[in-house]
Amino acid sequence: MGGSVLTGMLHDGLTRRRMIAGGGVAGLAMAAGGRRAFAASENVLKIGFVSPRTGALAGFGQTDGYVLELARKSLAKGLTIGGKTYEVVILDRDSQSDPSRASQLAKTLINSDQVDLMLPISAPETINPVADACEAAGVPCLSTVMPWEAWYYGRGAKPGQPSPFKWTYHFGFGVHEFLETYVSQWSLIPTNRKVGVLYPNDADGNAIRHNLAPLLAAKGFTIVDPGPYEDGTDDFSAQIAVFKRAHCEIFNSFPLPPDFAAFWRQATQQGYARHVKICQVAKTGLFPSDITSLGRLGYNIASAAYWHKAFPYTSSLTGIGGEALANGYENETGKMWTQQLGASLALLDAGVTALQTSSDPKNKAAVAHALSVLKTITIAGKVDFTDGPVPNVSPGPIIGTQWVKAPPGSRFKLAYPVTEHATDPNVPIGAKLIPYNA
Amino acid sequence: MSPLGSMRVQRWTPLSVGSVAVSVAVLVLLAFGPALFSPNVIDKLTTLFIYVLLAITWNALAGYGGLVSIGQQAFFGLGAYAAVRLTHAGMSVYPALILAAILVAAVSVPLSAFMLRLRAGEFAIGMWVVAELLHLLVNLDGLIQGETGTSLIALDAYSAVARRALTYWTALGSMTVLLVLLLVLLRSPTGAAIQAIRDSEEAAASVGVRVLTTKRVIFVVAAFGAALAGALWLSTTITFQPKTYFSVQWTAYMIFMVLVGGLGTFEGPIIGAVIFFLVGTWFGADGVWYLIGLGATALVFALFLPRGLWGWVDTRFGLRLLPVGYRVVAGREPPAVPAIQTPHIRS
Repeated sequence: MGGSVLTGMLHDGLTRRRMIAGGGVAGLAMAAGGRRAFAASENVLKIGFVSPRTGALAGFGQTDGYVLELARKSLAKGLTIGGKTYEVVILDRDSQSDPSRASQLAKTLINSDQVDLMLPISAPETINPVADACEAAGVPCLSTVMPWEAWYYGRGAKPGQPSPFKWTYHFGFGVHEFLETYVSQWSLIPTNRKVGVLYPNDADGNAIRHNLAPLLAAKGFTIVDPGPYEDGTDDFSAQIAVFKRAHCEIFNSFPLPPDFAAFWRQATQQGYARHVKICQVAKTGLFPSDITSLGRLGYNIASAAYWHKAFPYTSSLTGIGGEALANGYENETGKMWTQQLGASLALLDAGVTALQTSSDPKNKAAVAHALSVLKTITIAGKVDFTDGPVPNVSPGPIIGTQWVKAPPGSRFKLAYPVTEHATDPNVPIGAKLIPYNA
Repeated sequence: MSPLGSMRVQRWTPLSVGSVAVSVAVLVLLAFGPALFSPNVIDKLTTLFIYVLLAITWNALAGYGGLVSIGQQAFFGLGAYAAVRLTHAGMSVYPALILAAILVAAVSVPLSAFMLRLRAGEFAIGMWVVAELLHLLVNLDGLIQGETGTSLIALDAYSAVARRALTYWTALGSMTVLLVLLLVLLRSPTGAAIQAIRDSEEAAASVGVRVLTTKRVIFVVAAFGAALAGALWLSTTITFQPKTYFSVQWTAYMIFMVLVGGLGTFEGPIIGAVIFFLVGTWFGADGVWYLIGLGATALVFALFLPRGLWGWVDTRFGLRLLPVGYRVVAGREPPAVPAIQTPHIRS
């Protein structure tokens, strides 16, 4: 490495202004400290918001631009806490669905932007590295939208031992909610209670196989599992044959969207799909685009949602309700609403409430304490850290839904009614579950 | 005086003496980093040191050993995994990082018996297969819980400041040790053998170089370096998700750094690592376009500057900052054309 690199580094430690003088050094100055956009100030609260806006998980981040705009509007006049008014700055970053990138973004947000609260969202690839960086640096962190078991046990916590986390908190669904929802949803239609499961050999697939499948069996369902398949498989004939032979009227899977598309087309061609009364898919089918890409085969696929526009709550931050949020997004973008809208807004709701209820929002320990006792209602329902299955976790609902053909004259091809509400009875049921092969 | 009598073999030039002195001074200064730099600079420099480690060890393998591997993530991931396992067994984090790399180097010895029988493309793909295989094996470990992974929460025992400084020093120390190790190795008789193999394996064998043994040395050193980088990366990110560590992107980064810096030169990969680091810092936020840019840059270099930046400087000016080769000098006059660089000219 050249001498100029070192001088750049040195000057960054001494005087930042001088180092910008040198040509070769200026570059490194930007590399090292250029993100320091705002001076640390007593009256500014900074929130880091990290989500996957591009990459494999871009579907999750698609709506974040709109939600952040709403949040910024509501925060434009600042936030008055304990008689003092703070300017609130949300620094949103794109993790690119890459854990290494997420980790580096988190460190820059912590070290250089010096955020007061971190809000990572959507899937372990983004949430876990950001939460780990926060836990290590002593920065309060709140997250949602991934199974809480993968957040808690996937970061080194051990069952039956005290929580190793002091700074990081997570709310949202877990295996128990999936169980309640599936049992409730699958009892809506008479079936032979035989469930063909197609669980991949990946994080979600293995977690579900080991944690959910035995519980479903205990509830009286017969689980037919042809074994794990690798993501990216393109021939599912063997699995389809097993499901056909066992005459599984319920089908359940946690696949990647392209794998599900391949499987479901083959299942239709090979005559299995027409025997299926409930096709319950998770992970794929969260967003309208997953289903639209299946064409005609996508109608009547059952799903589950961590938020739905029928949720009867309003956003504590923006005062907006579910319908208004969904309609606002549809009007602004021309795209169908997604369940992520409410989840992202719920995270901002809960995060801002934690800042408001802390004794001093500029004190990280005070904010972390506020998170640990947070009890509030967001647009996605209740968040309550005083009463979780493990400390640091507040379980949340996942509501049974179904993708159906929209009535004639609708703006979009699909409709997405609520079909059951076991995990949050406040959510009104919108429609009866229709058998897939009806 | 006959022309032959005035020829002499030169190893140290004033330039190389000067640049080694400067390098040492830089490293010593860097050792005081945590006292001088902001936390952000410390974190970024740690990343840079890991990149240098990756670049110089892949270059040792491909540039000197002629072993183009696209499976170095096998060792990168295994190094991180071993560190997770060792700390889980109760070992203190920082010694565990080093021991993890040593264990992986030990694993690479028997592995080399199989892999070094493969040639060229077979070896490259074979290494990738090894990486995938190790990835699947690591996924079977109950501690790792498949792709869910785990985190090195033992690091939370350290305060943020201590952890940052310790990680930085471990990375700086590791990079320095590997640089010195490679420099010493390349200057030793083994180094001459390595460079002879790089230029022509058959020719080297015909003059009595023990090709397989020499390659094995390089293979193990490269495995050690990649494992150390993986363990260090774990200590900076804490999160261990197998898919990320066993991703082929790590080898792609190594290839980029070495290709841009200069394959088969000592200085090149270090320059490549600095460039990769700067480009990543400036343009990393651009996502897809950043990756397209990286790919296009590598393509341009492969097509128009196949020996990389330092290779170009080397052919053009005959500059050699670090004394890894020999040059034959006529009398006391400086050479008008690039000196004959015995082991350096490619056939």
